[in-house]
Amino acid sequence: MLSLKANERILAATSKGTAAPAILVLEDGSVYRGTSCGACGTRTGEICFNTSLVGYLEVISDPSYAGQIVTMTYPQIGNYGVNLDDVQRDVPHLSGLVVHDMCETPSSWRNVEGLPDYLREHDIVAIEGVDTRDLVRHVREAGAMQAILSTEELSSERLLAQLAESEAFVGVNQVERVSCAEEHAFEDLPASHAFAKEAPKSTERNVIAYDCGAKDAILQDLIRRGCAVTVVPWNTSADEVLALSPDGVFLSNGPGDPDAVEGTYRQVEQLMGKVPIFGICLGHQMLSKAAGASIEKLKYGHRGGNQPVMNLITGRVEITAQNHGFGQIFSSLGPLVPELSGGKAEHFDDLRSWVSLRVAPVVKNDLFGRIRLTHVNLNDGTPEGMQFIDIPAFSVQYHPEASPGPADSEYLFDAFMGLMAGEDDYLACDIAQSRTQGWDFGAERSNDAKAR
Amino acid sequence: MPRRDDIKSILVIGSGPIVIGQACEFDYSGAQACKVLKEDGFRVILVNSNPATIMTDPVLADRTYVEPITPDFVERILRLEKPDAILPTLGGQTGLNVAVDLAQSGVLDELGVEMIGCDLEAIERGEDRKLFNECMVELGIETARSGYAYSVEDALRIVDEIGYPVVLRPSFTLGGAGGGIAHDEEELVRIVSQGIELSQTGEVLVEESIEGWKEFEMEVMRDAAGNGIIVCSIENLDPMGIHTGDSITVAPAQTLTDIEYQRMRVASLAVLEKVGVETGGSNVQFALDPRTGRMIIIEMNPRVSRSSALASKATGFPIAKVAAQLAVGYTLDEIQNDITHATPACFEPSIDYCVVKIPRFAFEKFKDSDDTLSTRMRAVGEVMAIGRTFEESFSKAMRSMEDGHIGALIHDYDDLTKEELEERLSRPTPERIAIICAALAQGVSPERICSLTSIDRFFIDRIADIVSVERVVGEMQLMDIDAEAMRTIKRFGISDAEIASLVGSDERFVRAYRLGLGVKPVFKTVDTCAAEFASSTEYHYKTYEDGANEVSTGDKKRIMILGAGPNRIGQGIEFDYCCVHASYALSDAGYETIMVNCNPETVSTDYDTSDKLYFEPLTFEDVMDIVDVEHPDGVIVTLGGQTPLKLARLLEEAGVPIIGTSPESIDLAEDRDRFAALLDVLDIAYPASGMASTLEEAQIVAGKIGYPLLVRPSYVLGGRGMAIVYDGGQLERYMESAARVSPDHPVYLDRFLEGAVELDLDALCDGESVYVGGILEHIEMAGIHSGDSACCIPPFALPDSIQARLRKIAKELALSLGVKGLLNIQFAIKDSIIYVIEANPRASRTVPFVSKATGVPLAKLAARIMVGEKLADMGLPCEERHPDYYCVKEAVMPWGRFPGSDIVLGPEMRSTGEVMGIARNFPSAYMKTQVAIDYETPKGGCAFISVNDRDKRNFISIARDIARLGFDILATGGTAQALRAAGLPCEEVGKIYQGSDTVMDRIAKGEITLILNTPLGSTTRDDGYYLRAAAVRHGITYMTTLAAAQAMVAGMEVMREAQPDIIALQDLPQWEG
Repeated sequence: MLSLKANERILAATSKGTAAPAILVLEDGSVYRGTSCGACGTRTGEICFNTSLVGYLEVISDPSYAGQIVTMTYPQIGNYGVNLDDVQRDVPHLSGLVVHDMCETPSSWRNVEGLPDYLREHDIVAIEGVDTRDLVRHVREAGAMQAILSTEELSSERLLAQLAESEAFVGVNQVERVSCAEEHAFEDLPASHAFAKEAPKSTERNVIAYDCGAKDAILQDLIRRGCAVTVVPWNTSADEVLALSPDGVFLSNGPGDPDAVEGTYRQVEQLMGKVPIFGICLGHQMLSKAAGASIEKLKYGHRGGNQPVMNLITGRVEITAQNHGFGQIFSSLGPLVPELSGGKAEHFDDLRSWVSLRVAPVVKNDLFGRIRLTHVNLNDGTPEGMQFIDIPAFSVQYHPEASPGPADSEYLFDAFMGLMAGEDDYLACDIAQSRTQGWDFGAERSNDAKAR
Repeated sequence: MPRRDDIKSILVIGSGPIVIGQACEFDYSGAQACKVLKEDGFRVILVNSNPATIMTDPVLADRTYVEPITPDFVERILRLEKPDAILPTLGGQTGLNVAVDLAQSGVLDELGVEMIGCDLEAIERGEDRKLFNECMVELGIETARSGYAYSVEDALRIVDEIGYPVVLRPSFTLGGAGGGIAHDEEELVRIVSQGIELSQTGEVLVEESIEGWKEFEMEVMRDAAGNGIIVCSIENLDPMGIHTGDSITVAPAQTLTDIEYQRMRVASLAVLEKVGVETGGSNVQFALDPRTGRMIIIEMNPRVSRSSALASKATGFPIAKVAAQLAVGYTLDEIQNDITHATPACFEPSIDYCVVKIPRFAFEKFKDSDDTLSTRMRAVGEVMAIGRTFEESFSKAMRSMEDGHIGALIHDYDDLTKEELEERLSRPTPERIAIICAALAQGVSPERICSLTSIDRFFIDRIADIVSVERVVGEMQLMDIDAEAMRTIKRFGISDAEIASLVGSDERFVRAYRLGLGVKPVFKTVDTCAAEFASSTEYHYKTYEDGANEVSTGDKKRIMILGAGPNRIGQGIEFDYCCVHASYALSDAGYETIMVNCNPETVSTDYDTSDKLYFEPLTFEDVMDIVDVEHPDGVIVTLGGQTPLKLARLLEEAGVPIIGTSPESIDLAEDRDRFAALLDVLDIAYPASGMASTLEEAQIVAGKIGYPLLVRPSYVLGGRGMAIVYDGGQLERYMESAARVSPDHPVYLDRFLEGAVELDLDALCDGESVYVGGILEHIEMAGIHSGDSACCIPPFALPDSIQARLRKIAKELALSLGVKGLLNIQFAIKDSIIYVIEANPRASRTVPFVSKATGVPLAKLAARIMVGEKLADMGLPCEERHPDYYCVKEAVMPWGRFPGSDIVLGPEMRSTGEVMGIARNFPSAYMKTQVAIDYETPKGGCAFISVNDRDKRNFISIARDIARLGFDILATGGTAQALRAAGLPCEEVGKIYQGSDTVMDRIAKGEITLILNTPLGSTTRDDGYYLRAAAVRHGITYMTTLAAAQAMVAGMEVMREAQPDIIALQDLPQWEG
């Protein structure tokens, strides 16, 4: 006992116990020391942060984090443990996890295991004891950069050297690493969500989902709306997809640099106009790339569950879940069509100008005709959604399936159903009404009761 | 939708006096609203009867009415001011009720006044249980399952559906008799059959029990465009069954998975839509079954609430301010986030810290009242703490309480066995959280604690970790703790004082040792966005982290103001008012102002009030840590009541520049012996006094001074344990109980000046000259705590010559004490002799009232004196001016919340708040205070009079007036005899248990509308006790002193002739510095 250092004696008496040291080193030489709270090892990736207050498991298991070391800004993580029904993929793909404080004694009626155990099972390296707020402030100012996380090598110099030799993040195709190998049907809804979600509608549409790293919640949302979902690999050819004669094609979210995912967007280009298409996140970028748009790397990205986005068609603000480090440059889609853009012919740098004007501007795209800007981020004026007017396709940069995050934008799945049904105004929707759809609050609704 | 231009003027309704459940958080919300509306060009008219509020400062509104918040008075204000709109959602339930009343009676329609921020139907759907339940059925959101049983069979059938345990509530029984919880059929049959018999309607409500479930709150906002956001989720540590105001609460929710949280979020927003809240903030409460996740909605409040104030402080999102903007037409996306100045208010704050709120109670002041916590709120205040983890925040909150604890380290129960601790854990009381800490330290398992308390295991495990750290530290020597260990200890929130106690050292030594190890805290920022965006608002909290300090210091001179900590009886909003005023004044004078406080209800902890806000406990360690990063040019300790005053000496010794009255002067005034010596030198009279540690000593002192005696333990606050004893027997009983109150300290015995007139005087002194801000004449005679006594400014029955003498004494005392700032002196006058009872060289409770009454802002001036300005240069109005109006302050008592406790006023303060009445004469001003407290003045009926022997000579003229006002007089034996002797007809009734026709029967029949009962000593107390308790239960106007009765009778007479005018503060002289 006496041989133990005072700090170890103290920690040993708590739920934390004693833990091995761990270290996080950023590309610019910043060093953050802490202790290991996941698997042992050394990992590199782009450092990023997520500001969601709940839903750490959904974040950790989101395939879009492939190639990234994720920092959770809420300081205490793991409080309610792990329920595997909440994961967004059977295997997490992130490179590493950074938290301030990891909970070793979770409490929830849904809990089956502690988060540290889950991380170790999936060989995810994680560090706790980091001043995550300081780290976030640094990334906010310095911008996204590569980082290395280790429980084995504790010398920052040697880790920096190792980091210098590691693969870059920008320009690399992360999608091929997380996409499925073969076409398959996605059918299952998580059993333990039944207490909160209504039973799915009967199947009426066949949807092909390109898997660039799709979150399970998206596919589940499609099923709940009455879609039979067939998942295909990221680089499946347009012909193969069309041969399956789908009612609609869904383009999923996914990790990394969209410019590197030519294998998807070239096929999308072939599909456009031939079948209704809905894209989320990377899927939105794939549609953008197919239409010839430029993509920029955001300084530190949007990751969290509180980003305000205005639907320019309805004027309503959705609180959205987001996870992206790259974004479309709206003006690169083509010149404005003044008569459909409130008389404006010049693009605005800050798209919030359209919010003030209450106009959803339309551009003329060389390849696919008119495209309307439908959604704008109110925090920074970046584009969040677009609608092709002359072909059946629309997409959003954010995550209507949330998971984790607010369910305000769930109506976009209904919009996809509307698009497949040939509706024109499928994006006009009262979110106050739509966001309660699909939820089971425990009691029967009186209008349901009346129907019986 | 931009600002509405069809509205030019708005009436804002405040919440009136501070009462339990409706405290100064509504001043915070109301002040925010007034400020933002006025800045936006609206003409703001305000009504609020509470003078201690910032919102009633004449600069915050265009017209400020310190008038009763009743439908009558508000209607008169509406008719006079003709506003376009009325904004009732920021004044708590009081404001809402009055607005609903005016809407229902058609007054608003008649006058063309639009209710903004809510509408009548929405309020009704939110508050009417039946309508609300219908809305929930339409949404499919569960409410507690229940049904009415008219027979045992009915009950059994209902239970078949909802399962055991069930709560049984017979309808229409006296005082809820016959109810209970049934866990099985046997209990059900027994309670239901009894209940049906007891119920006048033969009806028993059978409701599923959700006691012990988890409780959550969502703070929701909606704008007119239909945008909805959740500002904050709050998880109650205490389970269902304990009012959320009495619960320890944590933000954000800690134990909800995403699917549970989002389901609750959607439900909250849907509830707002369904109930029809068009704009503004609401609070929605849920219960969650910890075994199945089943979710039941408990209630929603369609207005800004106590929780929204907490949520605003917890997130940095100013709910009330935004609610006011939404009410005048803006939408959430049009309002800028105050803190980032770059993003809109239409978002959901993300926070990167944990917030813990702990309520503060005052049961010790209400003896004989059951202290089991229930669904009826009894907390009088609260503290909030911010830290990076629950552990850190919890520890900080525990030491913010100022209840003698230095954190989670509890020694109060060291002599209890594990079994005794477990037994006490099963009953929720204010002490339970401390007992949990003690039980964990004694080795009671977390499982056991969870099963006894129904508190989620998550929280108990966190607390268990803190306790474990303390246990290990307790096995160490201080020198064993190296920097790494010290950092770990501090991350659990453990204070230097706790470490000192654990290792057997001194707090200051531990601090020095810690700093020697290089273990210093850093200050982080509350920024609404978890650092995602840059922010410029300096709203900080302390933590122990490796990263950078986020505090920036400018070039201006910096003054730090120490706040008053949690509200409690005796130290409330008045002190916060003084701190806020100091901040305003110093900011105007070009200083950078730094506020330190831990009370989330206050205006001082609005990040908008001072240049910098530190939300931190007011302990030596926490204040010193701020001093170390700010290096203030001056620290003010004399405006926040006892809390900062207690720290003055320690801070000064640590080299902190205390400005204003020096700790030495404070000590001179507070040390009885030194103060007495000073009075002797100045030839000022004071009551004879002595000190005793044993009964024998006390008897000797009593022999010297003579009875009656005012006795109190030394070193207690707010008159706690104070009593008046009239004879040796009472002294003996007192000494026995005092030994328990404060075992190691002696008891003070003062000659009690029975029948003396009491006065308060508030003065300013700059070391060279003295300015008397006001003299307040108490209405009640000596013996009633000054905080509980009504008082009037200017004095209503005090000759100028005596006032001049009081001023002279005050000047001599202020200069001799070396006061630099405020001085409050309490005087008593008996037989033409002026006695000084005490002098407090600090802001007093009466400063806000005096400032409002005279138009001279004393606290602001005091702050300016502290930074070196001179009274002579301020151009203050003449002290001796005779205003043509009277201002009365009346105390508001919380009797209704503490059944079983006697309602007699005494030397121990028990009021929670105050109201002010302004009128051209004293009786009208007094009556306004009575109306403001919501005392319905009786117009006729039976008046019951029963006075003690001492009052029997003096009450006759009052009784005559009562009779003349048209009351029939009822009296008990002795009083009836005195009345008959004076030739006043009266009916004699039996005392409480004398025969069949007793006064209690008459009360029960509703015949009695007015009660005058003056108790004295302990003999008449027994009978009177039940009488007064009945008066509270039946809401009968009662008076327990002749002075109050006299004022009341005079007031009733004046009111009979004409309604007193309504007066705006702006019409009274206001000193423009």
